[in-house]
Amino acid sequence: MSRRYDSRTTIFSPEGRLYQVEYAQEAISMAGTAIGILSTEGVVLACEKKVTSKLLDDDGSAEKLYIINDQMLCAVAGMTADASILVNNARVAAQRYLKTYNEQIPCEMLINKVCDIKQGYTQHGGLRPFGVSFLYAGYDDRYQFQLFTSNPSGNYSGWKATSIGANNSAAQTLLKKDYKDEISLKEACELAIKVLSKTMDASNINSEKLEFATLSLSSKEEGKIIQKIWNDKEIDLLIKTTGVLNDKSTGDE
Amino acid sequence: MNSIGKQFSNSNHNNALSEIQQIQNLRSSSHQLELSPSISIPPISQPTDFLRAHTDDSKNPDCKIKIAHGTTTLAFRFKEGIIVAVDSRATAGNWIASQTVNKVIRINPMLLGTMAGGAADCQFWETWLGTQCRLHELREKERISVAAASKILSNLVYQYKGMGLSMGTMICGHTKKEGPTIYYVDSDGTRLKGDLFCVGSGQTFAYGVLDSEYHWDLSVEEALYLGKRSILAATHRDAYSGGSINLYHVNEQGWTYHGNYNVGDLFWEVKEKEQSFVNVEA
Amino acid sequence: MDIILGIRVSDATLIATSKAATRSISILKDDDDKTRELNKHNLIAFTGESGDTTQFAEYVQANIQLYSMRENDIELSPKATASFIRNQLATSIRSRKPYQVNCLIGGYDTKTGKPSLNWIDYLGTQVELPYGAHGYAAFYTTSLLDKHYREKMSIDDGLKLMDMCIDELNKRMPIDFKGVYIKVVDKDGIRLIK
Repeated sequence: MSRRYDSRTTIFSPEGRLYQVEYAQEAISMAGTAIGILSTEGVVLACEKKVTSKLLDDDGSAEKLYIINDQMLCAVAGMTADASILVNNARVAAQRYLKTYNEQIPCEMLINKVCDIKQGYTQHGGLRPFGVSFLYAGYDDRYQFQLFTSNPSGNYSGWKATSIGANNSAAQTLLKKDYKDEISLKEACELAIKVLSKTMDASNINSEKLEFATLSLSSKEEGKIIQKIWNDKEIDLLIKTTGVLNDKSTGDE
Repeated sequence: MNSIGKQFSNSNHNNALSEIQQIQNLRSSSHQLELSPSISIPPISQPTDFLRAHTDDSKNPDCKIKIAHGTTTLAFRFKEGIIVAVDSRATAGNWIASQTVNKVIRINPMLLGTMAGGAADCQFWETWLGTQCRLHELREKERISVAAASKILSNLVYQYKGMGLSMGTMICGHTKKEGPTIYYVDSDGTRLKGDLFCVGSGQTFAYGVLDSEYHWDLSVEEALYLGKRSILAATHRDAYSGGSINLYHVNEQGWTYHGNYNVGDLFWEVKEKEQSFVNVEA
Repeated sequence: MDIILGIRVSDATLIATSKAATRSISILKDDDDKTRELNKHNLIAFTGESGDTTQFAEYVQANIQLYSMRENDIELSPKATASFIRNQLATSIRSRKPYQVNCLIGGYDTKTGKPSLNWIDYLGTQVELPYGAHGYAAFYTTSLLDKHYREKMSIDDGLKLMDMCIDELNKRMPIDFKGVYIKVVDKDGIRLIK
């Protein structure tokens, strides 16, 4: 039945749905989880790395985290190849704004621009929608720290804590339970680890399967934003201090 | 000195002109039948330069096309509305092309446009403005404001800036929300709202008379005479203004035409009445 | 021969513009306003090629108001406004028909609570200055301002200084510029002083 309406994204099904867009969203819900938590002192992004192999010769840089400009980071769930196109677009747009106005682009304006591109691909014939959802962590002087998500349809929304990718509904339930306003950045990081440890399929979590990034204000220089993509050591240390491994092992026994 | 002499003596040194001659020679030499379709384009690479080279007599006094420039036109606002007065002479260089030109364009029953600079440009674009105003009326079910009408014209001429348009015009009208209103619009793209404007080569002479006797509480009769008298002054002193005077009055009922006055007759009449122009012997 | 002059004081920026609109040898208008309000806290004053000036100012005005419409009534800061205008002129100068417009941007940044004066010329040069002018006015007034301008002046001090400049211009300029409009941009917005 639905076959006739699958091949072209521009056509509504008799039930009023756009199948290609829905399929794209479906594809993302199988991708590695990414979690974002907004705290009073900054934002944390944490993602699950799906491709882990000893043979993979990576340069140690993150594969699902991207720096967009001096005050924005994003995490990707879905097709990394598609994401890089959009990230490049976002980077160019941010620089263009900076060139024109000599000020950093407001987060929401940039997200809106990226979403306009995504939306375009759900409407123009013969093209496939972008198979990516984003988690954006940003700072601007209008609304300070912010957390946003966007999906293949071109919709975006702001959050205090949210998740995209595999098991995102489970993760969000956990976040809803444990999130509190006035959470500190450290607590937010720990919460992210806790939630990931429960939603990930893997039995034990370690730095090999995780990517972690935080956005915070510099204590030395006023108004300066610190973007930190964590290295393996730091992630392992965080896992250790959180104590999720111990909880698990006692649970297993 | 030499370069100035050259400029004045020989138009063959004109780049655009030699370019066009070259192309024409080239064309007349090829007589084969062309069977393939072609698109005709102007045989010059820079139409703006071409136009300037052939029409701008301040740059090239030998230019082949002389645009009618000399004029005196005026319009002013007063208690009872607006007075518009203009001369009727058209000149092309030193040649008086016509003594009976109508320099007031009746855009519609409520709007008048005066004409100074290129006669063709003014005539064409002000009648064009008339159609735009009518379209506005049909679309908005409301008469266009003088501000909007003048802005349509100024935006239009601005698009053609630097391409040889030559216009100095006053858009005069009366609307309920604005009252009697005058906008000065010229081909630079300038657009000014004001109470009193004189435009054209005789503007200074008209200003001289008008400024000396103008005040807000003029009666219609006084105002019409002042308008007429100011143009007369200009036609007397400016060689490029003359012919006859056309007079208009604009109020909330729209414009009314107040006749055509031959300058030759009017001059002696005024001189007799005012005992002015004493430098001229009767 | 148009005069545009700006002075930044502690909590406001003052802008003076001459009232005469001149075409060839006639003054066509003696109450011409050579400024446009870009938004509540940004004022542009301009001189240059007739036609270009108003067209450019109104184009910029429309774009800056469009920004606020798109962005939930958020105003562009003076710095961003000046950068935007600079960018427009810098693009224009390399185009087929450049805008020949010089301008001053008087602004008040509601976020930082600081007034600013930006000087921009038709080539796309932009500088933030405590005081500045374009055209012949600059020749007469810059030295005067160098001498009498102080940090931490009140609006009244600024207006007095402005009057000194205008008096000097009235005295030495060979052409009557029909006086000036003086506008103030501060936390309450833009207002005409005289």
